[in-house]
Amino acid sequence: MKHDDADLNDAMLRDLAQRLGTRAAEQLDVDRTTEAVLRRLRAPSRGAARWPIGIAPAWLRTAAVAVALVGAGLAVRSDVLRRPRGVAVVEPPTGELNDLSPDQLRAVLEVVEQPAGESATVSTQDTGLEDLSAPQLRALLASLEG
Amino acid sequence: MCPAEPLAAVPSDAALIAAWQGGDQQAAAQLVRRHAQALARFLAGAGAPEADLDDVVQEAFVRAFRALAKFRGQCQFRTWLFTIGGNVLKDARRRAQRVRVVPLGEELRARDGDPYERAVAGEAEQRLEEGLGRLPRLQREVFLLRAQQGLEYEEIAVALGTTPGAARVHYHHAVKRLKEFMQ
Repeated sequence: MKHDDADLNDAMLRDLAQRLGTRAAEQLDVDRTTEAVLRRLRAPSRGAARWPIGIAPAWLRTAAVAVALVGAGLAVRSDVLRRPRGVAVVEPPTGELNDLSPDQLRAVLEVVEQPAGESATVSTQDTGLEDLSAPQLRALLASLEG
Repeated sequence: MCPAEPLAAVPSDAALIAAWQGGDQQAAAQLVRRHAQALARFLAGAGAPEADLDDVVQEAFVRAFRALAKFRGQCQFRTWLFTIGGNVLKDARRRAQRVRVVPLGEELRARDGDPYERAVAGEAEQRLEEGLGRLPRLQREVFLLRAQQGLEYEEIAVALGTTPGAARVHYHHAVKRLKEFMQ
């Protein structure tokens, strides 16, 4: 080992340092230590069973996030499904107007005459009906009742 | 004249590492026997309590063998082992800070040897231990690797992930502070 001038001035300190730990190291039972190390190397790693939260493997953290997201999604979905439905839906006939019976037409007329904002709704599937005004529908009904 | 008996070949660390990686447990045993005392001396110098020295040495070897795939031979195996030992010691200290430990009184500590010699030789050594305990970790490890283990700055720098110039500076700072403390 080469020493520069500064090192040579510190010979006493180096000598002390070289003695440091000697007694403790001599008391080490090397054979026992060797056996213990080999025993631990043969045993399966205990790390897998003892992950503190902060150092859990990345895949485990990812899985935890995925589970949390799925759970949140299910909660939102079930909430939506359980929402009370106070809105009455009238399914108007979807065929040609001429195919409707008088009762069916009357039901349609009642719906059309309701002011906007009331709970009844009309499906947009019945194309053509929404274009008629109330008097037109009434006239149509009268002609059908004939 | 009889031909000289060939010397029994002493396998290098690299050969033993390769053998261990190939499943030879005796290779691991040889590595432990070869380096355990030097590691213990380094760790004791770095402040490992005598009572825990065996545990810290074991843990350092176990971690080293499990991380051998990362060892590329950039420095000596022993030097690399010392740095792992330093990490183990740091973790042990962190755990010890969470657990309140009541230290034994001086008179209750087990000590061997002649009391007078121990008193004379031990006093300066004890001051050095105390001084080392006050140094930042990097300065302490550089000092021990250089002064206790006799390593070159280049080797120390590789092991500690720094430059030889920085290692030299750390060493001189450590020496200065230790001298100030011990005077």
